[in-house]
Amino acid sequence: MRKPWYYWLYVRSPIAKIVLGIVAVMISIVVLLAQGWMEERRMQAQTNNWEGRSIEKGAEIFANNCSTCHAADGKGLPGVAPALYSRYFFTQRMADVGWTGTLHDYVALTVAAGRPSKTKSQWVQIMPTWGVRFGGPLRDDQVEYVTQFVLNWESDALQQSWDPRAAEAVRVATAVPITPTGMLTATITVTATEDVTPTTGLTVTPPITQPNATTATAAATEIVAVTQTSNATSTSDITSTESATATTGMVGADAMGQPVASAPPAAPAAVLDPWQPFQDAPSLAAPDTITYTVGTLGAAAVGAELAATAVVTDATGAETAPAIIPPEQLFVSMACSGCHMLGTVGVGVIGPDLNPLPETAGTKVAGQDAETYVYTSIVEPNVFINEGYLAGVMPANFKDRMSEEEIRGLVAWLLDPNRGY
Amino acid sequence: MAVQPEVKNKSLLETALDLADDTFTRITAGISAGEFRRMLRGDPPGRPNPRLKPHTEAFLLHIKPTYYHESVTRFTHTFRLGLLSTYLFFIETITGIFLMIWYAPSPERAYVDMIRLLSNVPFGQFMRDLHRLGAELMVIIVTAHMVRTYLTGSYKAPRQFTWFTGVILLVLTLFLSFSGYLLPWDQLAFWAVTIGTSMAEAVPPEIVGATVNLLARGAPDISANGLLRFYLLHVFFLPLVLILFFFVHYYKVVHFGISLPAQEEEVGQDTASKVPADRRVYYLPDVFLDETMFLIGFTALSIVLTVFFFQAPLESIANPQSTPLHTVAPWYFYWLQGLLKVADKLWAGVILPGILLGLLAGIPYLDPNPSRRGRDRRVAIISGIVAGVVMIVLSWMGTPYYAVQAAPAIEVVQELMPEEGAGLVREMGYKHMPVGVYDTRDAAAMQSHDEHFQELLHEFSGSIATFDETDRDFNDAYGILTITQEQPQLRRINWQIQWISGQGLEEDFTRNFFLHEDSLYWEQYGLRDFSYLSESEQAE
Repeated sequence: MRKPWYYWLYVRSPIAKIVLGIVAVMISIVVLLAQGWMEERRMQAQTNNWEGRSIEKGAEIFANNCSTCHAADGKGLPGVAPALYSRYFFTQRMADVGWTGTLHDYVALTVAAGRPSKTKSQWVQIMPTWGVRFGGPLRDDQVEYVTQFVLNWESDALQQSWDPRAAEAVRVATAVPITPTGMLTATITVTATEDVTPTTGLTVTPPITQPNATTATAAATEIVAVTQTSNATSTSDITSTESATATTGMVGADAMGQPVASAPPAAPAAVLDPWQPFQDAPSLAAPDTITYTVGTLGAAAVGAELAATAVVTDATGAETAPAIIPPEQLFVSMACSGCHMLGTVGVGVIGPDLNPLPETAGTKVAGQDAETYVYTSIVEPNVFINEGYLAGVMPANFKDRMSEEEIRGLVAWLLDPNRGY
Repeated sequence: MAVQPEVKNKSLLETALDLADDTFTRITAGISAGEFRRMLRGDPPGRPNPRLKPHTEAFLLHIKPTYYHESVTRFTHTFRLGLLSTYLFFIETITGIFLMIWYAPSPERAYVDMIRLLSNVPFGQFMRDLHRLGAELMVIIVTAHMVRTYLTGSYKAPRQFTWFTGVILLVLTLFLSFSGYLLPWDQLAFWAVTIGTSMAEAVPPEIVGATVNLLARGAPDISANGLLRFYLLHVFFLPLVLILFFFVHYYKVVHFGISLPAQEEEVGQDTASKVPADRRVYYLPDVFLDETMFLIGFTALSIVLTVFFFQAPLESIANPQSTPLHTVAPWYFYWLQGLLKVADKLWAGVILPGILLGLLAGIPYLDPNPSRRGRDRRVAIISGIVAGVVMIVLSWMGTPYYAVQAAPAIEVVQELMPEEGAGLVREMGYKHMPVGVYDTRDAAAMQSHDEHFQELLHEFSGSIATFDETDRDFNDAYGILTITQEQPQLRRINWQIQWISGQGLEEDFTRNFFLHEDSLYWEQYGLRDFSYLSESEQAE
């Protein structure tokens, strides 16, 4: 047979074949040894890689779900939700709530199952249960991502410094001692000034952009406004002014402390712990005085809750049915307001706007009246999803968290065109 | 062998040498040390050939023929593709068993197990990459094996059934590769398999399609049951069937012999099993040496490729609620995806692939031409080439470049920083993304000392400009890239693109991404990034 033109490419000598085989074996061994030599560092790099990616995912979830209440920079919104990017949060918080585990577990559990305890809290809006095991939308791994993201603030938060004078000023100015009278006063006052108190801090702060100095100032003004209305009986004008100065000072520093593009990290002294406007910190409070701050949304619901408790206590029979919380307070305390837009109380853009609900509810599902539609949407949120929104985002456990009467009341209130918001 | 009387008859040394020779012969299943030496020297075998003994003594050799025709031992006749396919199956089995040790097929664990395998198991990533590379190579090699057989006409009588089992083996290889695709339980896997199984739905009548789909997925959507089913298919059922068909296939190959080059025999003749004595090449030692060294060389090549040039992808964990933009099937099913874009599901997903498969398996029974010579088979060879070209074109149509373009602004961002996978930005990484605001209208802002970042800015403005020229609905477009420090080691990358639509309306598109300093993103093919080696040295 004729030899093909590439005949010279054939290796014909058996010895040459064996030598080539041995060379190939040696190359393999050398490459595998090199890989083995790198393994330790490769595994470390991979570990860091997946931690880094978790934080990226967590940042995305935080921006989409948490930033409406905790602010895009994690410094919290007065009256809505506490700061997480805060030195206090990383150093003192666990001791104050009596948590014996790690901070990681505290954050993960709070994200998944909501706040562990509602007592000794100034926050009226309850942290929703985000974990899928507790009726929320986030899978376990997503809860872990958010936790990683929150914990990633630690090194920066520890650079913050505490300004005791400003803290004290804010505390004195905004604190309301818990006595039934005090609370009732607060309730009445706030209810009366509902339309006046514009809740600017909430409406101005968009969920995606970082709050800049202007919005922060607006938030501060709002604190002062609430202070003035709710403490009219106990706080003098001078205290209010003090508080205004203190808060505004804090806000200035706050703005400086924000991560600004291309600016070098701010000097530690200039960065103040944003926990200061919040009073939910027993270790910072004077001994024997448990204090609550009344936020914008806060006053009404705290008052109502206490009033409700008072009703139960006043009643002589122990079997009295638990008090029904009015819908306007449920809307806040069940954290509906965190995701849905509604007049001046709802701030969120995650769920559909509820303002036009009285007109549109009856038309959403053919053959279903407005009451049935709204009721179903509360107890089984995924049955009907509005265009442009995702299924599985709204917690599906409201049926267990509210009584039947409360849900009915909430439905009626949401469908009432004269609900007052 | 009784040693004592032996020692009495012979000297001690002689007895020891005899014992050693005996042991050697046992190990080699019949080749004595002297014969082995003669083999190495290249001496011809004696008569009767003492080198045939291992073929009757040793299991692994008894399935090999004792000699081949000289013409078929040339590398360029078969390229040893059949052997290579078998060897790849062996590699897949070994690496697969290694991977099984660290893997549990449940949605709660599968993805976490992958991350653990990558970050906590020494050589874990190597084994995974090699397994994946082996799977892709196996698809290529098996296909190439089929193409070779087609071009040399080796499927003709009497080898029709060999070809038929070969087609079954090709389908099994594709299914094996595809069933393994789902197991990492990431977005890439989940959506590729969702697309793949959804084609089963189109099988008429509806009840059959729905049932097939339900059986494959284990539920209306892929979930825990589906994952378990695919796992069992992948590690148990399909390999078993493949082994069965492999033995049928190989038995037929040995039985009929490898077909000779067509020029060496008359048309319609088959002399492969009647090899004249002077054309015989014995398996031991010549073919054995060739095959062994070839496989050793191939192993070395695979190891080098795996360590330096190939990384199996792993995206975010599977999320049934969000479909990433530009979801694609595995590349060897691109042609099917391309078909689905131009025809409806019933035709493209069931009828056409079914006809294609039937034709492929039936070729030896349909082709009436007895000749295997190229010049007698012009129609067959040309139609084969046309079919190949059609496959390549259809595959191209299956990629996102054909007919699924999203809005220009989305495409610009998707190209640089896709929703899933790497993309230019993530490959450059955090250290090449300086904090600042970069506006494509501002030439000064679009300059950077960092050449990587400069390249990105160039791509960004270039891509916007290209779309601006070609798309009538995308005018006066400009982009703003804003990079801010979100947290320690975490930057927010904000893409903002504004344009004037065809109706003269101002429109804009904004997308936020986050990038962490330690994240390493990689492309599947290409030189691996070893920068972590130098970085950890700096840290020390």
